[in-house]
Amino acid sequence: MRRTATGLRAWLVQRVTAVYMLLFIVFLLFHFLLAPPDSYEAWHGWMRNSRIAIPASVFFAALLLHAWVGLRDVLMDYVHPLAWRISALALLAFSLTAIAAWVVRILLMGTA
Amino acid sequence: MRLSIFRFNPEKDEKPYMQDYEIAPEQTDRMLLDVLVRLKGRDDSLTFRRSCREGICGSDGMNINGRNGLACITPVKGLKEPVVLRPLPSFPVIRDLVVDMTRFFKQYHSIKPYLINNDPPPERERLQSPEDRAKLDGLYECILCACCTSQCPSSWWNPDKFVGPAGLLQAYRFIIDSRDQATQERLDDLNDAYRLFRCRTIMNCTEVCPRHLSPSRAIEKIRLMMVKDSS
Repeated sequence: MRRTATGLRAWLVQRVTAVYMLLFIVFLLFHFLLAPPDSYEAWHGWMRNSRIAIPASVFFAALLLHAWVGLRDVLMDYVHPLAWRISALALLAFSLTAIAAWVVRILLMGTA
Repeated sequence: MRLSIFRFNPEKDEKPYMQDYEIAPEQTDRMLLDVLVRLKGRDDSLTFRRSCREGICGSDGMNINGRNGLACITPVKGLKEPVVLRPLPSFPVIRDLVVDMTRFFKQYHSIKPYLINNDPPPERERLQSPEDRAKLDGLYECILCACCTSQCPSSWWNPDKFVGPAGLLQAYRFIIDSRDQATQERLDDLNDAYRLFRCRTIMNCTEVCPRHLSPSRAIEKIRLMMVKDSS
Protein backbone atom coordinates (compact mmCIF):
# COMPACT_ATOMS: atom_id res chain seq x y z
CA MET A 1 0.00 0.00 0.00
CA ARG A 2 1.45 3.33 -1.06
CA ARG A 3 1.53 5.83 1.78
CA THR A 4 0.73 8.79 -0.45
CA ALA A 5 -2.48 7.16 -1.65
CA THR A 6 -5.36 9.61 -1.49
CA GLY A 7 -7.72 7.33 -3.38
CA LEU A 8 -8.72 4.67 -0.88
CA ARG A 9 -8.21 6.85 2.18
CA ALA A 10 -10.48 9.64 0.91
CA TRP A 11 -13.10 7.10 -0.14
CA LEU A 12 -13.03 5.43 3.29
CA VAL A 13 -13.25 8.77 5.11
CA GLN A 14 -16.35 9.63 3.11
CA ARG A 15 -18.06 6.28 3.89
CA VAL A 16 -17.20 6.21 7.61
CA THR A 17 -18.26 9.83 8.19
CA ALA A 18 -21.52 9.20 6.31
CA VAL A 19 -22.42 6.30 8.60
CA TYR A 20 -21.59 8.30 11.74
CA MET A 21 -23.62 11.31 10.57
CA LEU A 22 -26.60 9.12 9.71
CA LEU A 23 -26.58 7.51 13.16
CA PHE A 24 -26.21 10.88 14.91
CA ILE A 25 -29.04 12.46 12.89
CA VAL A 26 -31.35 9.54 13.69
CA PHE A 27 -30.44 9.93 17.36
CA LEU A 28 -31.18 13.69 17.23
CA LEU A 29 -34.53 13.10 15.50
CA PHE A 30 -35.56 10.58 18.15
CA HIS A 31 -34.47 12.88 20.92
CA PHE A 32 -36.47 15.83 19.58
CA LEU A 33 -39.50 13.64 18.95
CA LEU A 34 -39.51 11.89 22.33
CA ALA A 35 -38.12 14.57 24.67
CA PRO A 36 -38.21 17.97 22.98
CA PRO A 37 -36.58 20.71 25.12
CA ASP A 38 -39.26 23.16 26.32
CA SER A 39 -37.08 26.24 26.59
CA TYR A 40 -33.90 27.74 25.26
CA GLU A 41 -32.22 27.11 28.63
CA ALA A 42 -33.17 23.43 28.53
CA TRP A 43 -31.80 23.09 24.98
CA HIS A 44 -28.64 25.01 25.89
CA GLY A 45 -28.08 22.90 29.01
CA TRP A 46 -28.59 19.71 27.03
CA MET A 47 -26.05 20.77 24.43
CA ARG A 48 -23.57 21.80 27.11
CA ASN A 49 -23.62 18.34 28.64
CA SER A 50 -20.37 16.66 27.61
CA ARG A 51 -22.28 13.46 26.77
CA ILE A 52 -23.86 15.44 23.91
CA ALA A 53 -21.20 18.08 23.24
CA ILE A 54 -18.51 15.53 22.38
CA PRO A 55 -20.58 13.43 19.92
CA ALA A 56 -21.87 16.71 18.44
CA SER A 57 -18.32 17.94 17.93
CA VAL A 58 -17.45 14.62 16.28
CA PHE A 59 -20.54 15.07 14.08
CA PHE A 60 -19.34 18.45 12.84
CA ALA A 61 -15.82 17.13 12.32
CA ALA A 62 -17.32 14.29 10.24
CA LEU A 63 -19.50 16.76 8.33
CA LEU A 64 -16.53 18.97 7.44
CA LEU A 65 -14.35 15.99 6.39
CA HIS A 66 -17.21 14.59 4.34
CA ALA A 67 -17.76 17.96 2.67
CA TRP A 68 -14.04 18.30 1.95
CA VAL A 69 -13.79 14.92 0.20
CA GLY A 70 -17.06 15.38 -1.69
CA LEU A 71 -16.43 18.93 -2.90
CA ARG A 72 -12.79 18.12 -3.68
CA ASP A 73 -14.12 15.33 -5.92
CA VAL A 74 -16.53 17.71 -7.65
CA LEU A 75 -13.71 20.21 -8.27
CA MET A 76 -11.42 17.45 -9.57
CA ASP A 77 -14.16 16.40 -11.98
CA TYR A 78 -15.16 19.78 -13.34
CA VAL A 79 -12.35 22.29 -12.76
CA HIS A 80 -9.41 21.31 -14.96
CA PRO A 81 -7.19 24.41 -15.45
CA LEU A 82 -4.59 24.10 -12.67
CA ALA A 83 -4.70 27.73 -11.49
CA TRP A 84 -8.49 27.64 -11.21
CA ARG A 85 -8.43 24.32 -9.42
CA ILE A 86 -5.83 25.41 -6.85
CA SER A 87 -7.77 28.63 -6.20
CA ALA A 88 -11.05 26.75 -5.82
CA LEU A 89 -9.51 24.15 -3.49
CA ALA A 90 -7.87 26.91 -1.42
CA LEU A 91 -11.17 28.78 -1.16
CA LEU A 92 -12.90 25.55 -0.14
CA ALA A 93 -10.26 24.73 2.47
CA PHE A 94 -10.46 28.28 3.86
CA SER A 95 -14.29 28.18 4.05
CA LEU A 96 -14.34 24.79 5.78
CA THR A 97 -11.66 25.90 8.25
CA ALA A 98 -13.66 29.05 9.03
CA ILE A 99 -16.78 26.95 9.62
CA ALA A 100 -14.72 24.63 11.85
CA ALA A 101 -13.50 27.59 13.90
CA TRP A 102 -17.06 28.83 14.27
CA VAL A 103 -18.25 25.38 15.38
CA VAL A 104 -15.48 25.23 18.00
CA ARG A 105 -16.47 28.66 19.27
CA ILE A 106 -20.13 27.77 19.66
CA LEU A 107 -19.88 24.19 20.85
CA LEU A 108 -16.77 24.12 22.98
CA MET A 109 -16.37 27.72 24.13
CA GLY A 110 -20.09 28.33 24.58
CA THR A 111 -20.22 31.72 22.85
CA ALA A 112 -22.23 32.52 19.78
CA MET B 1 -39.30 3.20 -40.50
CA ARG B 2 -37.93 6.68 -39.74
CA LEU B 3 -34.33 7.28 -38.65
CA SER B 4 -32.38 10.39 -37.75
CA ILE B 5 -28.65 9.78 -38.11
CA PHE B 6 -25.64 11.86 -37.07
CA ARG B 7 -23.62 12.78 -40.16
CA PHE B 8 -20.17 14.30 -40.29
CA ASN B 9 -17.54 14.05 -43.00
CA PRO B 10 -14.54 16.18 -41.92
CA GLU B 11 -13.41 16.50 -45.54
CA LYS B 12 -16.69 18.11 -46.62
CA ASP B 13 -18.71 19.29 -43.66
CA GLU B 14 -17.96 22.24 -41.45
CA LYS B 15 -20.29 21.02 -38.75
CA PRO B 16 -22.05 17.74 -37.93
CA TYR B 17 -25.76 17.54 -38.78
CA MET B 18 -28.63 15.09 -38.34
CA GLN B 19 -29.96 13.48 -41.53
CA ASP B 20 -33.45 11.99 -41.70
CA TYR B 21 -34.08 8.72 -43.53
CA GLU B 22 -37.27 6.83 -44.27
CA ILE B 23 -36.98 3.17 -45.17
CA ALA B 24 -39.33 0.21 -45.29
CA PRO B 25 -37.59 -2.70 -43.53
CA GLU B 26 -37.86 -6.11 -45.20
CA GLN B 27 -39.09 -9.09 -43.26
CA THR B 28 -35.53 -10.31 -42.71
CA ASP B 29 -34.44 -7.00 -41.14
CA ARG B 30 -34.74 -8.07 -37.52
CA MET B 31 -31.90 -6.04 -36.02
CA LEU B 32 -31.03 -2.37 -36.33
CA LEU B 33 -27.80 -3.27 -38.15
CA ASP B 34 -29.81 -4.99 -40.91
CA VAL B 35 -31.63 -1.70 -41.51
CA LEU B 36 -28.35 0.25 -41.47
CA VAL B 37 -26.78 -2.10 -44.04
CA ARG B 38 -29.88 -1.71 -46.24
CA LEU B 39 -29.64 2.06 -45.81
CA LYS B 40 -25.98 2.00 -46.85
CA GLY B 41 -27.05 0.26 -50.05
CA ARG B 42 -29.11 3.35 -50.79
CA ASP B 43 -26.68 6.01 -49.51
CA ASP B 44 -23.14 4.66 -49.63
CA SER B 45 -21.69 7.76 -47.98
CA LEU B 46 -23.23 6.64 -44.66
CA THR B 47 -20.36 5.30 -42.54
CA PHE B 48 -20.38 2.89 -39.60
CA ARG B 49 -18.33 -0.04 -38.31
CA ARG B 50 -19.61 -3.59 -38.26
CA SER B 51 -18.07 -7.00 -38.54
CA CYS B 52 -19.47 -10.16 -36.93
CA ARG B 53 -23.09 -8.88 -36.85
CA GLU B 54 -23.86 -11.07 -33.83
CA GLY B 55 -22.70 -9.16 -30.74
CA ILE B 56 -19.23 -10.67 -30.41
CA CYS B 57 -16.82 -8.31 -32.14
CA GLY B 58 -18.05 -5.09 -30.52
CA SER B 59 -17.56 -2.97 -33.65
CA ASP B 60 -20.99 -1.41 -34.01
CA GLY B 61 -21.33 0.25 -30.61
CA MET B 62 -23.39 3.42 -31.05
CA ASN B 63 -25.84 5.65 -29.25
CA ILE B 64 -29.35 4.44 -30.09
CA ASN B 65 -32.16 6.73 -28.92
CA GLY B 66 -29.87 8.12 -26.23
CA ARG B 67 -28.61 4.78 -24.98
CA ASN B 68 -25.40 3.01 -25.99
CA GLY B 69 -25.76 -0.42 -27.53
CA LEU B 70 -24.74 -2.70 -30.37
CA ALA B 71 -26.81 -2.16 -33.51
CA CYS B 72 -26.47 -5.86 -34.44
CA ILE B 73 -28.27 -7.13 -31.33
CA THR B 74 -30.79 -4.29 -30.98
CA PRO B 75 -34.16 -5.55 -32.31
CA VAL B 76 -35.88 -3.17 -34.70
CA LYS B 77 -39.18 -4.05 -33.07
CA GLY B 78 -39.95 -1.76 -30.16
CA LEU B 79 -37.55 1.05 -31.14
CA LYS B 80 -39.16 4.45 -30.73
CA GLU B 81 -39.30 6.39 -34.01
CA PRO B 82 -37.58 8.30 -35.36
CA VAL B 83 -34.66 6.16 -34.25
CA VAL B 84 -31.93 8.66 -33.34
CA LEU B 85 -28.44 7.29 -34.01
CA ARG B 86 -25.32 9.08 -32.80
CA PRO B 87 -21.67 8.05 -32.41
CA LEU B 88 -20.54 6.89 -28.93
CA PRO B 89 -20.78 9.98 -26.67
CA SER B 90 -17.54 11.77 -25.70
CA PHE B 91 -15.38 9.83 -28.18
CA PRO B 92 -13.74 11.86 -30.98
CA VAL B 93 -15.70 11.38 -34.22
CA ILE B 94 -13.78 10.23 -37.28
CA ARG B 95 -16.76 10.16 -39.62
CA ASP B 96 -20.53 9.68 -39.13
CA LEU B 97 -20.92 6.85 -36.56
CA VAL B 98 -17.22 5.88 -36.54
CA VAL B 99 -15.27 7.06 -33.48
CA ASP B 100 -11.61 7.18 -32.51
CA MET B 101 -10.99 4.47 -29.88
CA THR B 102 -7.30 5.34 -29.23
CA ARG B 103 -7.81 6.79 -25.76
CA PHE B 104 -10.11 3.92 -24.79
CA PHE B 105 -7.50 1.31 -25.71
CA LYS B 106 -4.72 3.32 -24.07
CA GLN B 107 -6.62 3.09 -20.77
CA TYR B 108 -7.24 -0.60 -21.37
CA HIS B 109 -3.52 -1.26 -21.96
CA SER B 110 -2.60 0.75 -18.85
CA ILE B 111 -4.02 -1.95 -16.56
CA LYS B 112 -1.69 -4.57 -18.15
CA PRO B 113 -4.39 -6.82 -19.56
CA TYR B 114 -2.30 -9.98 -19.58
CA LEU B 115 -1.31 -12.68 -17.10
CA ILE B 116 1.80 -11.78 -15.08
CA ASN B 117 3.43 -14.93 -13.76
CA ASN B 118 7.18 -15.26 -13.40
CA ASP B 119 7.24 -19.00 -12.68
CA PRO B 120 8.60 -21.03 -15.56
CA PRO B 121 5.69 -22.16 -17.74
CA PRO B 122 4.68 -25.78 -17.11
CA GLU B 123 4.84 -28.28 -19.94
CA ARG B 124 1.15 -27.93 -20.67
CA GLU B 125 -1.05 -25.15 -19.27
CA ARG B 126 -1.16 -23.33 -15.90
CA LEU B 127 -3.89 -25.17 -14.05
CA GLN B 128 -6.69 -23.60 -12.06
CA SER B 129 -9.37 -25.18 -9.86
CA PRO B 130 -12.95 -25.03 -11.21
CA GLU B 131 -13.78 -22.67 -8.29
CA ASP B 132 -10.96 -20.28 -9.23
CA ARG B 133 -11.99 -20.46 -12.85
CA ALA B 134 -15.58 -19.61 -11.92
CA LYS B 135 -14.36 -16.30 -10.45
CA LEU B 136 -13.58 -15.12 -13.98
CA ASP B 137 -17.17 -15.57 -15.15
CA GLY B 138 -18.83 -12.24 -15.84
CA LEU B 139 -15.41 -10.66 -16.43
CA TYR B 140 -13.68 -12.39 -19.35
CA GLU B 141 -16.73 -12.05 -21.64
CA CYS B 142 -16.10 -8.32 -22.23
CA ILE B 143 -15.78 -7.53 -25.95
CA LEU B 144 -14.38 -4.00 -25.51
CA CYS B 145 -17.18 -2.34 -27.47
CA ALA B 146 -16.80 0.77 -25.24
CA CYS B 147 -20.55 1.15 -24.69
CA CYS B 148 -19.94 1.39 -20.91
CA THR B 149 -16.97 3.77 -20.89
CA SER B 150 -18.63 6.06 -23.41
CA GLN B 151 -21.75 6.31 -21.24
CA CYS B 152 -19.83 6.94 -17.98
CA PRO B 153 -19.90 10.57 -16.74
CA SER B 154 -16.68 10.05 -14.75
CA SER B 155 -15.00 9.06 -18.02
CA TRP B 156 -16.47 12.13 -19.73
CA TRP B 157 -14.83 14.48 -17.20
CA ASN B 158 -11.45 12.71 -16.90
CA PRO B 159 -10.99 10.40 -19.92
CA ASP B 160 -7.20 10.74 -19.76
CA LYS B 161 -6.84 9.87 -16.06
CA PHE B 162 -9.80 7.67 -15.10
CA VAL B 163 -9.36 4.11 -16.41
CA GLY B 164 -13.09 3.78 -17.07
CA PRO B 165 -15.47 0.86 -16.50
CA ALA B 166 -14.21 -1.38 -19.34
CA GLY B 167 -10.58 -1.10 -18.22
CA LEU B 168 -11.48 -1.60 -14.55
CA LEU B 169 -13.56 -4.69 -15.32
CA GLN B 170 -10.46 -6.15 -17.02
CA ALA B 171 -8.23 -4.99 -14.15
CA TYR B 172 -10.39 -7.02 -11.76
CA ARG B 173 -10.36 -9.96 -14.17
CA PHE B 174 -6.56 -10.19 -13.68
CA ILE B 175 -6.55 -9.20 -9.97
CA ILE B 176 -8.86 -12.12 -9.14
CA ASP B 177 -7.11 -14.64 -11.44
CA SER B 178 -5.45 -17.30 -9.25
CA ARG B 179 -2.65 -17.68 -11.82
CA ASP B 180 -1.65 -14.01 -11.73
CA GLN B 181 1.19 -12.99 -9.39
CA ALA B 182 0.99 -9.21 -9.69
CA THR B 183 -2.14 -8.71 -7.55
CA GLN B 184 -0.45 -6.27 -5.17
CA GLU B 185 1.09 -4.18 -7.96
CA ARG B 186 -2.25 -4.06 -9.74
CA LEU B 187 -4.06 -2.84 -6.59
CA ASP B 188 -1.35 -0.24 -5.88
CA ASP B 189 -1.48 0.99 -9.46
CA LEU B 190 -5.20 1.77 -9.14
CA ASN B 191 -4.98 3.38 -5.71
CA ASP B 192 -4.74 7.07 -6.45
CA ALA B 193 -7.32 9.83 -6.71
CA TYR B 194 -8.05 9.21 -10.40
CA ARG B 195 -7.51 5.76 -11.87
CA LEU B 196 -10.24 3.97 -9.92
CA PHE B 197 -11.63 6.45 -7.43
CA ARG B 198 -13.20 8.83 -9.96
CA CYS B 199 -15.99 6.23 -10.06
CA ARG B 200 -19.08 7.74 -8.41
CA THR B 201 -21.06 4.48 -8.63
CA ILE B 202 -23.37 6.04 -11.23
CA MET B 203 -23.75 2.54 -12.74
CA ASN B 204 -24.51 3.63 -16.31
CA CYS B 205 -21.87 1.06 -17.30
CA THR B 206 -23.80 -1.88 -15.88
CA GLU B 207 -27.06 -0.43 -17.20
CA VAL B 208 -25.93 -0.30 -20.84
CA CYS B 209 -23.54 -3.27 -21.15
CA PRO B 210 -24.80 -5.26 -24.17
CA ARG B 211 -23.20 -8.40 -22.69
CA HIS B 212 -24.98 -7.84 -19.34
CA LEU B 213 -21.71 -7.63 -17.42
CA SER B 214 -21.32 -5.48 -14.32
CA PRO B 215 -18.29 -3.18 -14.25
CA SER B 216 -19.78 -1.46 -11.16
CA ARG B 217 -19.62 -4.72 -9.21
CA ALA B 218 -16.01 -5.31 -10.34
CA ILE B 219 -15.06 -1.80 -9.20
CA GLU B 220 -16.75 -2.39 -5.84
CA LYS B 221 -14.83 -5.65 -5.41
CA ILE B 222 -11.52 -3.94 -6.20
CA ARG B 223 -12.31 -1.31 -3.54
CA LEU B 224 -13.12 -4.00 -0.96
CA MET B 225 -9.86 -5.81 -1.78
CA MET B 226 -8.01 -2.53 -1.22
CA VAL B 227 -9.73 -2.07 2.15
CA LYS B 228 -8.76 -5.60 3.23
CA ASP B 229 -5.25 -5.06 1.90
CA SER B 230 -4.76 -1.85 3.90
CA SER B 231 -6.00 -3.22 7.24
